[in-house]
Amino acid sequence: MRKMPAIERKYVTPGELIAEGSYKPIGNVIRIKDKFYSTKVGLAEISREGIRVIPLSGPYIPRVDDLVIGKIVDFSAFSWEVDINSCFFAYLSAQNVFGKDFSPDRESLLRKFAIGDLIYAKIIAYDRTRNPLLSVSGPGLGRIPKGEVVKISPAKVPRLIGKKGSMIKTIESATNCKLIIGQNGIVLIMGPPDGVLLATQAIRMVESEAHLAGLTKNIQNFLSKYKEVGS
Amino acid sequence: MMSVVKKSIVVEQLRRAQMIELLSKEKRLDNRGLMDFRPITIETGVIERANGSARVQVGNTQVIAGVKIELGEPFPDAPDKGLLVVNAEVLPLASAYAEPGPPDEDAIELARVVDRGIRESHMIDLSKLALIPGRKVCAVFVDVNVLNTDGNLLDASSYATVASIATSKMPKFYVDENGQIRQSDEIIPLPINGIPISITMARIGDTLIVDPTSEEEAVMDARITLVVDENGNLCAGQKGQPGTLNFDQVKLATKIAKAKAKEIREIIKEGIMRNVKG
Amino acid sequence: MKELINEKGLRIDGRRVDELRPLKIEVGVLKNADGSSYIEMGKNKIVVAVYGPKEVHPKHQALPDRSVLRCRYHMAPFSVDVRKPPQPSRREIEISKVIREALEPALILEEYPRTAIDVYLEVLQADGGSRCAGITASAVALADAGISMRDMVVACAAGKVSGQVVIDLNDVEDKEGEADMPIAIMPNLNQVTLLQLDGILTSEEFERAFEMAVNACRTIYEVQRKALMDKYFGKAGEE
Repeated sequence: MRKMPAIERKYVTPGELIAEGSYKPIGNVIRIKDKFYSTKVGLAEISREGIRVIPLSGPYIPRVDDLVIGKIVDFSAFSWEVDINSCFFAYLSAQNVFGKDFSPDRESLLRKFAIGDLIYAKIIAYDRTRNPLLSVSGPGLGRIPKGEVVKISPAKVPRLIGKKGSMIKTIESATNCKLIIGQNGIVLIMGPPDGVLLATQAIRMVESEAHLAGLTKNIQNFLSKYKEVGS
Repeated sequence: MMSVVKKSIVVEQLRRAQMIELLSKEKRLDNRGLMDFRPITIETGVIERANGSARVQVGNTQVIAGVKIELGEPFPDAPDKGLLVVNAEVLPLASAYAEPGPPDEDAIELARVVDRGIRESHMIDLSKLALIPGRKVCAVFVDVNVLNTDGNLLDASSYATVASIATSKMPKFYVDENGQIRQSDEIIPLPINGIPISITMARIGDTLIVDPTSEEEAVMDARITLVVDENGNLCAGQKGQPGTLNFDQVKLATKIAKAKAKEIREIIKEGIMRNVKG
Repeated sequence: MKELINEKGLRIDGRRVDELRPLKIEVGVLKNADGSSYIEMGKNKIVVAVYGPKEVHPKHQALPDRSVLRCRYHMAPFSVDVRKPPQPSRREIEISKVIREALEPALILEEYPRTAIDVYLEVLQADGGSRCAGITASAVALADAGISMRDMVVACAAGKVSGQVVIDLNDVEDKEGEADMPIAIMPNLNQVTLLQLDGILTSEEFERAFEMAVNACRTIYEVQRKALMDKYFGKAGEE
């Protein structure tokens, strides 16, 4: 039988000493000599692989290749400004949508995406010197025509997706809905009204219990209880 | 100072469409009916140092009002009346769109409309606050601070103002043999005549709703606030936003305001009583 | 001169010289803010909101390699005995600056270049030591916002009243005592981030006051920690 690496877990706040020893700092950790301190409120994990803290709050920091759900909030002659629930606004260039031959024409921009439209997009560029750049050329990307939007703390997105998408699949099958989760904490739910309501409640439950063990079981119980009672 | 349009929240097109569809079925995004207020909570006496204070929540909108009563000089054209000054600030704590700085036109309008409701309904009997007519009167300062915005700042601020005034206490002042103003040990309430209630409505398309949230305010075409006194009379009003109201809508608004004011007055009075006992 | 410490060694509010006022901290009290907290320290009542990291306006104020921390300490007109007009006073502007400088060393601002982090403190009721209570609450609000921090920051004032070194001065003691010394520390890194002195202390008194203040800060830090643990981990965090 394969031996699982032991993971020690503890709740930490900023500045708290997590562990002493020769570990590799993985994330949200400061190392001073052989002492490791947390930089966030979160769940510290100490294992042979290293020490990291999974934060329970914090802004969405854009990463290249992330898929996000954004809201068009403004536009110029050459691009749309998109709110991606991050420290920065992102930009979607007209060229990305209309092609390299695009010439500034105010009318076309508005006709394609209006202020308030939601788009599913990929981050194609981001570094410390400029705002994130988006692209909607790719399968499934572009304007979102329908659905309900739920905003969660970006720190909780991995929990909502689950191991290999297990959590999201559980919620989808129990509610008969399709979920699209942006890495930036914006979730789109499409389906019948009572399914959407149930899915929203399940998402909120994941958000508030993200740090607890047995979350998957709790969600499954919650969803099956409703199925018995439900329509 | 210029009057300008400010950047505010952009409501998603999908959400806007949902809102309009629900309104046609007389429902709102948060499941309320058109004429339903959000839950209102009132805590009075939260600032012991002030003469009176109240923290009010209408849904997620959170407002705190404090009353300070000091001595001052009356206005020359009202020598036998005390002073009432209402100030309002939307603190930068309240939303990502609120910036630090002197009150802008929205905050000033907020203060003046709340003031109008209190003053025109004669909630405070200002004639009882003149100590030496023409020379020294009591000045009642009400400062309203918005801590968190989610729409309908006007009603929330008005309820906080009214609750803080209704529970204010002051030392009994008197004039001694030398014509000097002295403070006795007796503590008395502010002389109150009755509680005016502010009701704010928004028009979205052809529908009137009460107590709009931030989202509904971002979509609304017009807004109207009416303040109703204890006798059912309208004592202050303010239409807001560049949109219009037709004549039927104005009539309907007055009907709604009078009906809701009765209901909300009970809630406010009950909230005040609960705090005073507690 | 008013007697601020009686023969039994009790202060005007009944405390001993090394006793803190009752303290309460709540986390996440405002919905719109990215992080927020509320503190009651004696009669001080302060609410803090953190917005950020976010884009900087005007753009020329942005720094290329780190975030800009901005701080606003403001007292509500009804927070003091004699009503204070709402416009910021010179005192509030100075206190805003020292609070910013007390918090900045704890924040890993290099992680958020070209952004701003705004900390808004509103004093709803003041009773001596409001800047210290404000700093303590601000650190909690910053942690609530999920901003990377090297350490927490916690503050308390020590001073001298009726010839004795005391901790956590209230308004009367601050105004009528011989010295008031607010300090703030990062409790795990053992660094001082705020130190002000108003009054006269001998070198020995200064050392005693400093040591008492640091110890008081450690006690207050435990309240900060517990407030964050309670909000984020609830029952699961109980040890």
